Amino acid sequence: MRRHHHHPTSATSAVDLDAAHHQLQRGKKRGNYSCGRCGQPKKGHICHVPPPTTAIPMTETFSSSIVTPAPVFATPSPSPRHPHSHLRRALSFEENTSAFQVSDAEEEKFPMEIESDWVEIGGLPMKCLWEVLRRLPPVTLLSAAKVCKGWRNCTRKLWRAAEELRLKVPARIQVGFIGSMLQKCSGLVRLSLTMESDLDATMLASIAFSCPNLEAMEVAFSDRAVNRITGDELGRFVAEKRSLSSLKIEGCSNLGCFNMCSSSLSTLWLSDLYSLSKTVFNCPNLKEISLDFSRSENDSTDLVTMVDGLGRSCPRLRKVHIASVHLSHAVVLALTAANLRGLRMLSLVLGSGITDASVAAIASIYPNLELLDLSGSCISDSGIGMICNEFPETLSRLLLALCPNITSSGIQFATAQLPLLELMDCGMSICDPSSENLSEESTLNNNGVRKLNFMQKTHNMPSSKLHLVYQKLIIKHARLKKLSLWGCSGLDALYLNCPELKDLNLTSCINLHPERLLIQCHGLENVHASGCQEVLINAINSQVCNNYSSIDDHFPTKRLADGSKRVHVPHISFPQSSGIEKGRKASRSLCTAIVA
Amino acid sequence: MSTKKITLLSSDREQFIVDEAVAIQSQTIKNLIEDTVPDEDGIPLPVVHSRILAKVTEYLTKHANYKPHNDAAKEELKNWDVKFLGKLDNNTLFDLILAANYLDIKGLLDLTCQAVADLMKGMSVEEVRKLFNIENDFTPEEEEAVRKENQWAFD
Repeated sequence: MRRHHHHPTSATSAVDLDAAHHQLQRGKKRGNYSCGRCGQPKKGHICHVPPPTTAIPMTETFSSSIVTPAPVFATPSPSPRHPHSHLRRALSFEENTSAFQVSDAEEEKFPMEIESDWVEIGGLPMKCLWEVLRRLPPVTLLSAAKVCKGWRNCTRKLWRAAEELRLKVPARIQVGFIGSMLQKCSGLVRLSLTMESDLDATMLASIAFSCPNLEAMEVAFSDRAVNRITGDELGRFVAEKRSLSSLKIEGCSNLGCFNMCSSSLSTLWLSDLYSLSKTVFNCPNLKEISLDFSRSENDSTDLVTMVDGLGRSCPRLRKVHIASVHLSHAVVLALTAANLRGLRMLSLVLGSGITDASVAAIASIYPNLELLDLSGSCISDSGIGMICNEFPETLSRLLLALCPNITSSGIQFATAQLPLLELMDCGMSICDPSSENLSEESTLNNNGVRKLNFMQKTHNMPSSKLHLVYQKLIIKHARLKKLSLWGCSGLDALYLNCPELKDLNLTSCINLHPERLLIQCHGLENVHASGCQEVLINAINSQVCNNYSSIDDHFPTKRLADGSKRVHVPHISFPQSSGIEKGRKASRSLCTAIVA
Repeated sequence: MSTKKITLLSSDREQFIVDEAVAIQSQTIKNLIEDTVPDEDGIPLPVVHSRILAKVTEYLTKHANYKPHNDAAKEELKNWDVKFLGKLDNNTLFDLILAANYLDIKGLLDLTCQAVADLMKGMSVEEVRKLFNIENDFTPEEEEAVRKENQWAFD
């Protein structure tokens, strides 16, 4: 979420990674329990032994089942399945109709005995009523209690069984309502709030009081709501919630200073930080930290001291993300001095003070990085060279968006030297400085505005190297899945041969020559091409379609002639290709050229 | 893929002949096939009326033959589900929930329960009682207590 503030293209992927990473960690945390059915270690194991069918299937099987981060909307699974093995009973609701969501993922046991299964309440057996009620938006669930005694009972049990609550807190709400709502769900483990009213100490205290078992809390803010929490209040909350392992809070501009002291906390995301006078981390089990500072030049946080303290007291960090325009080489040195053995993902973005020397320092101390994000830094091709030399065995994601000093040869070198690379983001890196007007065209959305501001700043930075205007890029890579070249206005020619590539972002590659474009990527699903010239879009379309016709000559290539410019390769309409499966040799997947 | 046929027998003794792959999406039917000696008329489902069983088999047939491989196919299946629901009146919908519950067909239970939940959104308490044909059994004191217990910001 936070990362949308800058380079939006990489943001999606980075957040995906976050999620994936998060899941990974969850899996790890539960340890090597054996599968209850076949006895093999559970980790990474999908059991094919059918679950025992007992007379009371509703009691035992659910209690220990895995809870995955809830999708916003769970669709009914049409596939044949074991009766209760992967039952994921997330309560989920459409956002628009409800003020908030309850999601009691795995509401483990339907808490009635089998006899009462057939007790009818208003025409429905209790179990069916449960199934209906748990799909209601919380506000409707509240009013459902008023229907009759049986329903009131059922809603009470539902609230108590809820593990996860997603709540959109309306503006001007009284804190008592949140408290009374939370007190119904004594078993709550995950709480996710979207605040339209301000968050203050009273509400935080109410949450702390009502949810004794809270493990994960996430707070987002709508535009008008303000996070009034101070560092002291947040520190106290964290210290008192002994089971809290994940905390993600936006809008932390009023923290001032903080002292985070928790042995349970493993994930901490704070964004919109501003001028922290003092930061103390005492979280020995912290594995993932994300600190997103406000973009303000006036931010006075002493990052060197902060990172130094972080490194000393959180030895288990696996993933570090810091975004600040004040990131410097000194901060990198403080981080390398910490020698975090477990560090696998490092993301230091927006720091124009990060140079090739910083890359050298990172590479010498942390040779096992899987993800490196130095977007917005001043590194050059020689920095990329060092990255290639140090991380060929591990690095799978490299993000160098908004790095004005790198050229296409550096990017090309990276793809040639890093065989494990799956994601590469070079957005706004190969820019043609003469085409400033590009940025106005490329403001696609709100994020785009910020992107533009930042880009102009990078252009003002002293750059020793002349921008090459006619750059070409040849990439042949066996694993690459996502490649982003958004805003690479200096790019003139592009040759891609990447069988695994699924997403290609060519947004605003305004100088890419249609005749110097060759895309040989049979797995391609999406090509983003908004802001490109019409001829280029046509070239992309015909090449993507040619992937098909090269396999089956009689497939007509089809382009939409209307002004929508949204072109689907009509794939479903061909019966020959309807039976494709991912990863098969004959796979010809649906590819979409997306033009806003 | 086996094309073995299964005969299902509704409560009003009407026969429904479907592929085994279609039928065993119902866990209850699957268990019945495994555990019981087949009746020569078919597998008796004494609580499901033929009117409902027709709907159930329609749903099962679609979902057995249609394994979505990509987003477009999933989308189409979803659209089919929406259309399927659109054709049902409220009584049939409730009967389908009961049948899906009895036959243990998770997909259908999810679909129908979600449909009822969607119906309830935005309904007043009185309208919900009407929909479910429920009598208000609260005393006035209880009613006041429930109201207090379950009020939301803008009630």
